[in-house]
Amino acid sequence: MGFNAKDALNEFWSSRVSKLGVFFMVTLFAISFYVLVSYPSNFGTSYWNRPQHWADYPKAVPPTWTQMLTSDKKAQHQILVTDEVYVRDKGIRALEYSIRFNYKADEYPKFTSFSLSELTFYDDPPFVYLTLERPDGTVIEDLLFHSIPYPSPGDEPPFVKYVESPLRIYLPGSSEVNSALSRFVRSEYELGLTPLDIGNSGQEQYIFGTPDSEGNFDQPLTGSYTMKIRVETFHEDDTVGSVKFVVGGTVFGYMGTDTLGRDLAVGLLFGFPVALFIGFITSTLTTIVGSVLGIWGGYVGGRTDDVIQRVSDILNNLPQLPILIFLVFILGQNIWNIILVLVFFGWPGLTILVRSMVLQAKEEQFIEASVAIGASRSWIMARHIFPQVAPFIFTQMIFYTPSAILAEAALSFLGLGDPSLPTWGQILERGFQTGAIYLGYWWWIIPPGLLIVITALCFVFIAQGLEPVVNPRLRRRR
Amino acid sequence: MRLGRNLLVRGFTLLMVVVVTLLLMNVVLGATGFSDRMLNALINDQVRIYRQGLVQTIQDPTELQRIVNNYKDVLIEAYGLDKPWPMRLPQMIWRVMTFDLGKAKNAQTFKGSTEIYDLIAERLPKSILLITTSVGISALLGLTIGTKIATMPGSKIDRFFSNYSAFSYALPTWWTGILFILIFAQYLRILPPGGMYSAPPPTEAIPRFLDLLFHAILPISTLVLALSGSWIYLTRTMVLNTAQQDFVNVARAKGLPENLVMRRYIIRVAAPPIITNIILGLAGSLSGAILTETVFGWPGMGLLYWNAIVTVDEGLIIALTFVYTLIYVIARMILEVLYVFLDPRVEY
Repeated sequence: MGFNAKDALNEFWSSRVSKLGVFFMVTLFAISFYVLVSYPSNFGTSYWNRPQHWADYPKAVPPTWTQMLTSDKKAQHQILVTDEVYVRDKGIRALEYSIRFNYKADEYPKFTSFSLSELTFYDDPPFVYLTLERPDGTVIEDLLFHSIPYPSPGDEPPFVKYVESPLRIYLPGSSEVNSALSRFVRSEYELGLTPLDIGNSGQEQYIFGTPDSEGNFDQPLTGSYTMKIRVETFHEDDTVGSVKFVVGGTVFGYMGTDTLGRDLAVGLLFGFPVALFIGFITSTLTTIVGSVLGIWGGYVGGRTDDVIQRVSDILNNLPQLPILIFLVFILGQNIWNIILVLVFFGWPGLTILVRSMVLQAKEEQFIEASVAIGASRSWIMARHIFPQVAPFIFTQMIFYTPSAILAEAALSFLGLGDPSLPTWGQILERGFQTGAIYLGYWWWIIPPGLLIVITALCFVFIAQGLEPVVNPRLRRRR
Repeated sequence: MRLGRNLLVRGFTLLMVVVVTLLLMNVVLGATGFSDRMLNALINDQVRIYRQGLVQTIQDPTELQRIVNNYKDVLIEAYGLDKPWPMRLPQMIWRVMTFDLGKAKNAQTFKGSTEIYDLIAERLPKSILLITTSVGISALLGLTIGTKIATMPGSKIDRFFSNYSAFSYALPTWWTGILFILIFAQYLRILPPGGMYSAPPPTEAIPRFLDLLFHAILPISTLVLALSGSWIYLTRTMVLNTAQQDFVNVARAKGLPENLVMRRYIIRVAAPPIITNIILGLAGSLSGAILTETVFGWPGMGLLYWNAIVTVDEGLIIALTFVYTLIYVIARMILEVLYVFLDPRVEY
């Protein structure tokens, strides 16, 4: 078997599927590299699977680019943070913040929320007031009033609060806000709406809108808003770290969010290196075990061969998924368990194939010659047998990679993924479990599956391109 | 007799598959301490019931405690919990084989039984219905389309199906199912998103059957899409390889009509390896069925599996893993026997 590297490369490159496969592969690697460099190593546990981290994001909204499909301007998500403080000393001491933002959408925001972090106080706990100045000059006084709760009896000043997780108040659902808005619409527009009416019909329209002649709040008021935050304190050393106001968008990011508010683009990107890692590690280990045993059994023959044959025959005949489910369930949902189990059941297929090739290869005359010279078995296997089957083994390795990725995805979909490593399968599983299909959250369902398909196809294409190189007698074969 | 010996060898291998699975499961359960925990839970449950029965009759608390403890010791000895797990292996294997694994935590049959055996007995036929129908349709498609496109290698249709098989390999079955639900049930609203019957199910036989058919369209299509790709392509390759052999050329040179060449010379030779591969593909169809049932809420064993994972029900998972192995082995054996009758030359 004459094997010329240059010819092989030409042959490989001549087919269209190879080019497509290589192009996809380079892209996959580039994205994975970017993720490895830019993501923290504890992404899964400290960010992705920590709901607090996503508290300020809108829940289950489609990607931003979907607004190009409609004529309406969607509300953009705005997270506005400031620590620029003005300290008022006259009269009651107060820390004052002001946040300016533009609102341009044709619809009302999905929600609004206010947060405050790192509060330190020495005496009575401070009061927080929010006042909104709107583009048309009207002012909603004391839109929100919140008194910080007293510290626990045993504590000594200074009292430090809201360091780990901030104080977060969702304006919808706060009866305080309903009352403020009821007062506002009465004094400004002479509309008699009780706080209950306000709460039932959605506060956003009263915060961000003006009534038409019939008293309906259909059109948001666009332009520049200013949110004034006043923290009244009872001790001159009281401080606040920062304040935040969130205008919840009805669209978000490149890929939308899930029901926890997680930015799906971030999670999908993280899936790239994880998928490649699982695929490559599993296929490499499987190939090593499978080909070593195949070459060894095929060449040595006798009882060794019998044992390897029997074992691989039995393992090859086990129904994979049920055993996989069982083992991962019992051993624990850990990525290494998943990989090891996949390797354990993956090698026999390759061993059976390699063995049959070795049986042919070992009949060649130059191998007889080597034996006659007195070359050792391991030398012959490594130097004469292996090179003959190596191209085939390499193709099989590429071909096996997607099945490892698909197997992991299937396990994740059944809820047996490694929770510390978010994968595309797990994102889909969350979507399936929360009923995203029935709620029509397509942006949560389609992209992760599509990425799995593209990644798997990329390897299939390359394997298909390699096939005629490895086995020139055959045109494309399975 | 060679034929009988062949079947015997095959049967022995498949029997070994069951034995190895049982051993593997129980060794893993023993070594990870899972079996200890399960037995403990079982014993504590029985002790609790025993104690409740005695509380009425025995007033003295120390006396009660002594009797209960005695009973517990008896149970511990009976279940072998006082011995290390390797000693318990035969007993453990027997319990798996007889489904003596306690009750299901959060699943019950139509009649309300939570016995694992009853649950599996109820769900099994529904799974088998789904699997056999899908495998049958896929095999039929594979054989007809595969031989058809083998006669026109390189044509547009041929290339379409080679791409189709690559896609069907790369497409996760469950995602296909989800897409089908999204398209046909959610947007077009022409097919039901899941389940096996409408609620309430029709009572008369014919409407009931039609209702079942209506609900089965999407799950079966999903499985067929997943399975047929590789089978079509495999048949095509096998037929094409045979068609390039010398004896086929000779037959053509003799002037035999093309369909006769196809029937007598090509398909007859290519059939055994094709069928072997379809038999080997059975394992894949079981996996596909588990996922498809989960996606479509098809009340078979696959959905039960998923319920067991979600509710962390180890007894049910153990039982299901065993049953799936058993189904697989039995199905394989049936196919092997059929195969030997189709082609008595077969040798292993």
